[in-house]
Amino acid sequence: MRDPQTGTTLSNVTHLRSAGRARHLRLAVLAAAGLAVAGCAENAPQDIFQEKGSNAEAIGDLDFVYYIAIGVGVIVAIVIAWVIFRYRDRGQPIPEQTHGKPILEIGLTILPALILVGVAIPTVGTLMALNETDDTECIVNVTGQQWWWEFDYPVQDGCGGIDEPIVTSGQMVIPADTNVLIRGTSRDVIHSFWIPALNGKRDMVPGRIHTLRMQAYEPGLYAGQCAEFCGLSHANMRMEVAALDDAGFEAWKANQLEDYEAPFPSTKAAAGEAAFIANCSRCHQIDGLLDSDGSPIVARPDQQVYSGAAPNLTNFMTRNTFAGASWDMLIDDCREDVWEAPSDQFTERYLEGVTDACFKESELREWLRDSTAKKPMYADPEELEETDGLFRGMPYLALSEDQIDDLLAYLLERK
Amino acid sequence: MFTTGSKFLIGASVLAVVAAILYGVTQDGVLGTVGLTSAAVAIIGLATANALLRDSNVFLDDEAPADTSSAAQYAPGSSPWPLAFAFAGVIVAVGLVSYQPIVVIGLALLLAAGAEWTVSAWSERASGNVDHNAEVRSRLSNPLEYPVGGAIAIGIIIYAFSRVMLWLSKSGTVVAFSVLAAVVLAIGFAIASRRSVQPAAIGGVMAFGAVAMVAVGTAAGLDGERDIPEFETTTIWQEEAILHPAEYAAGAEEGKHPAGLICESPEEFPEADERASETVALKSNAIQVFLRADGSLEYDTPGNLPLGSDAVTIPRSNPTNVIFRNESDEDARLSLDMGTMTVEADGEEVEARHQICTTLIEGGGAQLLTVEIDQPSFAFSDPNPNGAGPGIWFFVPGTESATLEVLVP
Repeated sequence: MRDPQTGTTLSNVTHLRSAGRARHLRLAVLAAAGLAVAGCAENAPQDIFQEKGSNAEAIGDLDFVYYIAIGVGVIVAIVIAWVIFRYRDRGQPIPEQTHGKPILEIGLTILPALILVGVAIPTVGTLMALNETDDTECIVNVTGQQWWWEFDYPVQDGCGGIDEPIVTSGQMVIPADTNVLIRGTSRDVIHSFWIPALNGKRDMVPGRIHTLRMQAYEPGLYAGQCAEFCGLSHANMRMEVAALDDAGFEAWKANQLEDYEAPFPSTKAAAGEAAFIANCSRCHQIDGLLDSDGSPIVARPDQQVYSGAAPNLTNFMTRNTFAGASWDMLIDDCREDVWEAPSDQFTERYLEGVTDACFKESELREWLRDSTAKKPMYADPEELEETDGLFRGMPYLALSEDQIDDLLAYLLERK
Repeated sequence: MFTTGSKFLIGASVLAVVAAILYGVTQDGVLGTVGLTSAAVAIIGLATANALLRDSNVFLDDEAPADTSSAAQYAPGSSPWPLAFAFAGVIVAVGLVSYQPIVVIGLALLLAAGAEWTVSAWSERASGNVDHNAEVRSRLSNPLEYPVGGAIAIGIIIYAFSRVMLWLSKSGTVVAFSVLAAVVLAIGFAIASRRSVQPAAIGGVMAFGAVAMVAVGTAAGLDGERDIPEFETTTIWQEEAILHPAEYAAGAEEGKHPAGLICESPEEFPEADERASETVALKSNAIQVFLRADGSLEYDTPGNLPLGSDAVTIPRSNPTNVIFRNESDEDARLSLDMGTMTVEADGEEVEARHQICTTLIEGGGAQLLTVEIDQPSFAFSDPNPNGAGPGIWFFVPGTESATLEVLVP
């Protein structure tokens, strides 16, 4: 029998339709498999399945919950699909309406309950274990603000002993294989601290202190980012944890507390120092920087910035990212040397900081040229009514290229 | 073509216009010209209306008006609204020459009385049937009268209640509410125990209660609010001492409060939250500062590290909650000295200590102090009289050994 429209025989039409459906099905399966595999990148820095610390591993040990959930989901989906297909309307009479099967209903209530209990016991146990702070040996205060992270190390006996407070931003340095207690808060809105390889997320709430224990098995650089929407540049609010071996951590601490070294006179760096004092020191603190009278220059970001603080740049080039750890200061090769360094070499490479040869000045230059164009912030000086005249983020400074050159030279020496 | 009345008004309009022009040109007086022009406009309006209505004249041989003219209608009954309208006008006039807010009340009454009068007059002419007119009036005005009237009545009762509450003393409130609750319970029981109760009886009881409430509220309002003693916070005392030193010193001499800055004084001031012992959840505070029995200050922070007594680190530019626990046997307060500040007092710039402190806490008590320091501690290079060196210091006035350095990175 021929199809009057196409001229093809009906048997051929049926075959063609079946062939089309099979092709679509194959494509769908391939696409699904591709999506599933796409989440398994080997070197994804924020992969929660590549645990690098005890707390992340404890969370990772709960992955059986996924498999149970997938299994239950697949079973339910199959059953639903079968019921839809098997009992579809083919004109048959409506089946007899019964009250139901109590045994089935009770059974299907008890079974999920048992599954949930089986999932809950280890989950709750892990949650309680993650909240323990009695075994911490080092305290770091973490403060989130739009859109960067501040890390300060209070005076303490932990962390090998710290006699003077240290403050830095963007990259938190910790000793490897040590339980570090993070005491987190915020200066403005709620942020969330998340280093996937080391632990889960913890909200940083203004007016509250939330603790989080963090531990890295080995030296290395672990990436993270803010996990609670916090405004325009939430996506640019990143941070890294640099775990160093014990000796390296001591060296890092000592370096952070070294006295300020002024640049040699009549150099670009000296001009940069002057430019920094004139343009940047209102908000950014560099400890030890003196004015012409010999008095310490005290930055007052509380008078300029809505959140009340700006990153301390005292040893700026000991960290290799800036502006909320969103941009690199290392050229690609050097970056790879640090990020991909084996754990026994990482400390040494990290402590080198940003050297002249490895300095990727383009990003920092663009930032100094116009920070608001690089990172969305409410830094328009004509729209500050909402924040009582204070900047939310770094404003446009209208620096000349010469000033930027000088500043780069000066900042490169800050390590 | 024009009726007699219209002709008169038209003539008057022309006369008024001519007079306004002549006066304006010859006398050049603004006030007079405006007045005559206003009169002309008003008369023209009247003339127009009159011409359209043809003087409301009814001719002798006109049959229709015998049934439909106003004179053939049922005479309206007495109405309070004209009187209320006039009374409201008087209130407005009185308010203009005495107390301005009374004008607002008068205007509101004028509006209400005028609206009611208008609706009444309109409904009386709706038809020749009195009952129908009353129903029409109710349908028009009840949807507004009931809610507004109810809101006003409830507002009056609530306001009267509030005056009673402000008048009663602290213990009197307990007695009053106990008695009131007992009365309500008794009345409720009496009503519930009867097989049937006349609606009028319940209405009477409710009305009596409302009137009693308003009467008592009026009396309480006239008598005035109870005396509420005022307590000052430590911040206010500190500011008073710095900004108004002369008055402050005079107050100290009169014995109203101790002399000197409150944050440097171990003595008791009339302070708000006297003998307060607030406990704040651990997550809300970063630091606990203990005054030990031996007079030393120690601090503890969340985490596993031991107590410290040398220096405590507080983050910069972020309010940090410090809970002060007094483990001594004496009353004590925790103060924070953040160096000096420059303020304007009595028109002059003076330097004063920048201090905050808790209220005086009894032994075993605790209180919260919220601290925000916007500069790093190295910016405070001058010697601190309340510490063991320059910088920022926690201290307990009256206990020399109780000092704790504060470091801000």
